[in-house]
This record gives sequence, C-alpha cells and structure tokens, in this order.
Amino acid sequence: MDIIFIIVVVFLLLNIALGLFRVWRGPTVADRLLTTQLFGTTGMAILLVLAGYLKDLNLLNVAITFNVLAILLVIGLVQVWKKKKGESP
Amino acid sequence: MSVLIDIILAILAIYLAFQSLLAKRLTQTVFIFFAFGLALALAWVRLGAIDVAITEAAIAAGFMGVLFLDALRDFSPRTSNNQEKTEAAKDIFSKKNTKSLLLPRVALVLGLVLFLLISLEAIWNIPDGGGLTVSVETMLPESGVEHPVTAVLLNFRAYDTWLEIGVILLGLLAIFATGGIKLYLKPDVPAQDILLRQVILFFTPILFLFGAFLLYIGKSGPGGAFQAGVLWAAIGILLHLGGKPVFSMIPRWLGQLLLTLGLGFFLLLGFILMAGGATLFEYPPAYAGVLILIVETLAAISIAAALTAIFANLNQMQEKPNDIESTT
Repeated sequence: MDIIFIIVVVFLLLNIALGLFRVWRGPTVADRLLTTQLFGTTGMAILLVLAGYLKDLNLLNVAITFNVLAILLVIGLVQVWKKKKGESP
Repeated sequence: MSVLIDIILAILAIYLAFQSLLAKRLTQTVFIFFAFGLALALAWVRLGAIDVAITEAAIAAGFMGVLFLDALRDFSPRTSNNQEKTEAAKDIFSKKNTKSLLLPRVALVLGLVLFLLISLEAIWNIPDGGGLTVSVETMLPESGVEHPVTAVLLNFRAYDTWLEIGVILLGLLAIFATGGIKLYLKPDVPAQDILLRQVILFFTPILFLFGAFLLYIGKSGPGGAFQAGVLWAAIGILLHLGGKPVFSMIPRWLGQLLLTLGLGFFLLLGFILMAGGATLFEYPPAYAGVLILIVETLAAISIAAALTAIFANLNQMQEKPNDIESTT
C-alpha cells in the first residue's frame, strides 16, 4: 500500500518540475501566476497524500493554509496590476 | 522507498533556490520563488516540522506573494510611463552587470563552500539524545500547553517570541518613517466589480475562522500566533485590495492600539510577573494555559495589524508617483 502513496507523490512532484517550464516561458505575468496556482493545488495534493502515508492529520492544516491563501495572490494580481490604465497583466 | 521523495524534493528545492537568484527576468525569479516556498514547505513536512511548514505556507504563499506582486509592478518597465528613464536605467544596469560579474560569482562560490562545510560539520556532530527534546518533554506538564513547540515558543523561550513581535513592529515603523503616514490614510474607492466583492465577502469569514482555529489548536498541535496572524492579515489585505483600507476606516488611536497590543501586553505581563517575585515571563503553572492563550491571541491580532499596515503602506506609497504622472 505504501508504494502507491510514494508513486503518487513522486508523480505529483515531477508534475511541479514540469510546470516550471511555463514559469520559465510564460509570456505574461498572468501565465506565470496560473502556474503557481497549479503548484499550490499540486502541493496540496502532495500534502494530502503524505497525510495518508505518514498517518499525520496535522498535514491537512498545512494544505488548508495553502488553499485559503491562494486567493490572495489571484486578487492581488487582479487588483494591483489593474490599477494601471488600460493594461492587461 | 520514501527516500525517492526526499531526493526529488531536495533536488527541486536546491534547483529552485538557485534559479530564483539567477533567472534573467524579474517575473521569472518572483514566481520561481513561490515554487521554492512550496518545495520548502514540503521539505519541512518531510522533516516532521509541521509548525514551520504552516508558517512557510502562510508567509511564502500568501503574504510574500502579494508583496512581491506589488513590487513587481513597481519594477516592471512596461508599466512605467517614463520610457527613457527605464531605458537609461537599463543601460546603467547592463554596464554595471558586465563589469562586476566576477565578484558576485566569487562571493557566491565562497559562500556555498562555507555553507557546505558548516552543514557537514552540523551533520557530523548531531548531539546524542536529540538535543533539548528530553528536557522539554519533562517540563511540558508545567508549561500549560500540550504541544512542545508552543511550550518552547511561549513559555520557556517567551523572551525570543516577544522580541520577534517587536521586530515586525520595528519593520513597520521603518516603513512609516520612510513612507509617511499621510499616504496610508488616503481613502480609496470601494471595488465596483461584483465578482471581486463576492470573492472577498466569501473568503473573509473563512480566513478568520481558520486563523482562529490555528490559534486555538496551537495548544495541542502545530499552529499558533504567527500562523493565525498571517491568516488574519490576509483579511486586511483582501479588504485593502477591495478598496476598503482597514486602517483608514478605524480611528487612528484604535489602529495604533491594535499594532502595539501584542508587544505591550506581553511586556506588561512580564513586569507584573516580576513584581510578583518571579522572573520575566515565568508564568505560574496553574494559570499558564490561560495566560498563553491570551498572549497568543493579542500577539496574533498585533501581527495581523502590522502585516496589513505594511502591505497597505507599500501599496499606497507607489500610488503617489503614478498619480503625479497621470496629472502632469
């Protein structure tokens, strides 16, 4: 059973590594921000799987922290970059 | 087998750390830094330090993220109206860059070698019996809480924590000193966008509740004042971004009270305890649990207020040049 957890975590970690490509290329800030949102989601998934693997429910708190604070970045991007006239982020 | 996870995580964290320093474009470095924060949080989880992982998640993914986005807009050449100025700045930067590239490289390599030597030394000399873990465990019943990390932070080493709250306040004071308080009291227009309003209204109670939960769970598990403070600060930042700057809506004395509450009460408590014959921050074991909860709550409120004020200040400071540009 443990081997499945490990395979899933490794797969998700490799997903993050692959997502770095978009951070590297992504022409606009919005592209890169979406990638970090993807990282956040993937990181949460890793934390949830690890919580099952390590049998430690405190990891769920870390996952929720990531989750509720992810909105801050999105709103931050929309509001901070919108204030300049007529430019998309 | 789980060593595979650790190896990938270690490679990822080190690679991201390097790239966040060395990437050519500013936007790349900022977003790679977010990814680095995530990798670091996962690494802390693998090391069994859940408290640090929560703090890392809250600070790196939330607070630093917004600050960096804000700074990024400031430095972005596209958003600057003064094209010549940025080009001139670019020229200076590139000239400087080619000249003095050798020195940073040498410094980087030297620092790395030193760091590797120190970490080798640290790995070599791991103390037997896990350092101070045993002595903390034996004193845990007297601390008033069940979680060893909280016991150390708020009882055994309360002095450190008190000064840490002071450091945040000091940072804010520095920003006040350079930015001026007038700008930050400038009223803003509430957001008209219905989606934005709904998202902010939806997330405000969730952030507050989860922050309070983390604060309370700090007694018996990973969590505590700093994590709760960041989550509550997220409310203030969201409201600020939605056009309702908290600090311009409450009276000024109330804002100052909120900012200094944690530090002040901590200090007052320490002095009262000293007047009662104990040393600084030596809680009587019978009341330790209640006192720690009160101190943590007030500290979380102060941290939240300070982080909100830091963001509000930095965000408003750059408003001013833009306003001047648009009017002239």
